[in-house]
Amino acid sequence: MSHSNQERELENKEEELRKIRMAFLNILEDTEEAKMQAIEEKNKTLAVIQNFTDGLLVLSEDNKIEIISPLVEGFLKQAEDEILGKDIFKLSLEKADLKPLTEVLKKRKNKEIKSIFRKEIRLGEELFLEITVSHFRSGEKKGSLVILHDVSRDKLVERMKTEFVSISAHQLRTPLSAVKWTLRMILDGDVGEINGEQRDLLEKTYQSNERMIALINDLLNVTRIEEGRFLYRPELMQIEDIVDQVVSDSKETADIKKIKIKTERPKELLPLVMIDKEKMIIAIQNLLENSLKYTPEKGAVVISLEKKDKEVIFKITDSGVGIPKDQQSRIFSKFFRGSNVIKMETEGSGLGLYTTKNIIELHEGKIWFESEEGKGSTFYFSVPSRS
Amino acid sequence: MSKKVLIIEDDKFLRELLGKKLSNVGYTAILAVDGEEGLEKIKKEKPDIILLDLILPGINGFEVLEKHKEDSSISSVPVIILSNLGQSEDIEKGLKLGAKDFLVKAHFTPQEIVNKLQMVLG
Repeated sequence: MSHSNQERELENKEEELRKIRMAFLNILEDTEEAKMQAIEEKNKTLAVIQNFTDGLLVLSEDNKIEIISPLVEGFLKQAEDEILGKDIFKLSLEKADLKPLTEVLKKRKNKEIKSIFRKEIRLGEELFLEITVSHFRSGEKKGSLVILHDVSRDKLVERMKTEFVSISAHQLRTPLSAVKWTLRMILDGDVGEINGEQRDLLEKTYQSNERMIALINDLLNVTRIEEGRFLYRPELMQIEDIVDQVVSDSKETADIKKIKIKTERPKELLPLVMIDKEKMIIAIQNLLENSLKYTPEKGAVVISLEKKDKEVIFKITDSGVGIPKDQQSRIFSKFFRGSNVIKMETEGSGLGLYTTKNIIELHEGKIWFESEEGKGSTFYFSVPSRS
Repeated sequence: MSKKVLIIEDDKFLRELLGKKLSNVGYTAILAVDGEEGLEKIKKEKPDIILLDLILPGINGFEVLEKHKEDSSISSVPVIILSNLGQSEDIEKGLKLGAKDFLVKAHFTPQEIVNKLQMVLG
């Protein structure tokens, strides 16, 4: 009996072992399958990265380079195996100056920038990249995805376009000068007497030509802004001096329309501001010209200057026609003109406010306005003070 | 004796207009169509003042200024640039090379140009 008992027990054990073996085999098979799946997923991801048309860069929380796409090697002028696993802030700068890139990433590190951030940077003479940084979290792991989009070609086309406009504008000035000089010499009596009617017509023609010259100047300013070299020489100065100069230059126009220009400012000097004089004159001139142009006869224009925190605020209020509510969001765009002012037969290129906004922003300032149709407008801008 | 003004300008019509205006107000106008002829006439005609365009065929206006500045026999003759360039870079470059003033053609009338000449001539 004990013998047969032992035998049965042995059979049971054998049966058990067989089951365990089967189970193991099943598990092994599942693991193998899962592994294959994981590899396949990884390959897929790698294929996506390898074939991505933008440069891709994955950074760990401590700034180590974890993954790069092949395009990044070209952008950074370093091979994948040279940079993988390295701290992006400690890469060799021998082959390429990576400063513009690391500056942006430093801001990310210091949490100065929001979760998604986009900026255009220049790496080297001909390479322009639009960089997008976004943060991600997968499980416990945090990091950033950096996308480098090559915009060099767009930049080149843009540059050619602005160059073209700039050259054409210069070329246009020559025949316009000839027209100006001829008309002026006739009007000044250099080639004999003219009668009143002739004078009247020629005077109007002269004014048209002057508008054309002004339009070309506006176009030149815009293209220069777009070429990004508009702020030529900033220096420390009092903004009061510039305002005074612009106001006195516009006195004649104001007198013709019997508009009073009043200026208000604190008794003590305002803090110094860092400005490019020539450009700031254009910015303020545009605002004052608009006020004078769109304010009816005997109206009023008030310019005030004040210090507020670390800024100097310029404010110009007029009793003019105002800007229609539904168009207020577009007033700083290129070639914009209000529907109400087009009907007034006033001349304008629609480039003034666009230029002014760009000039103010190049000075690290802001521009804004309040306006009510039929009552008038107030434009403000701020520039940071330096003293 | 009337003062001699040398106009170095490649556009025929502009050159003649300005020449006429200058004669009308009592100057003697000498005309040159390009930088080379300009330099020649500075030496030969010994003008009292020069009106210089910048974009010229061959030697451009900046090069004329450079040569004018280097040559002590002519460098004392004042030069006023009269050009349709007019960006800050151009103006600074011109003044650095010794020009007395920089006038953008489209922004000045012939009379205003004459006034500038008179100011420089004293």
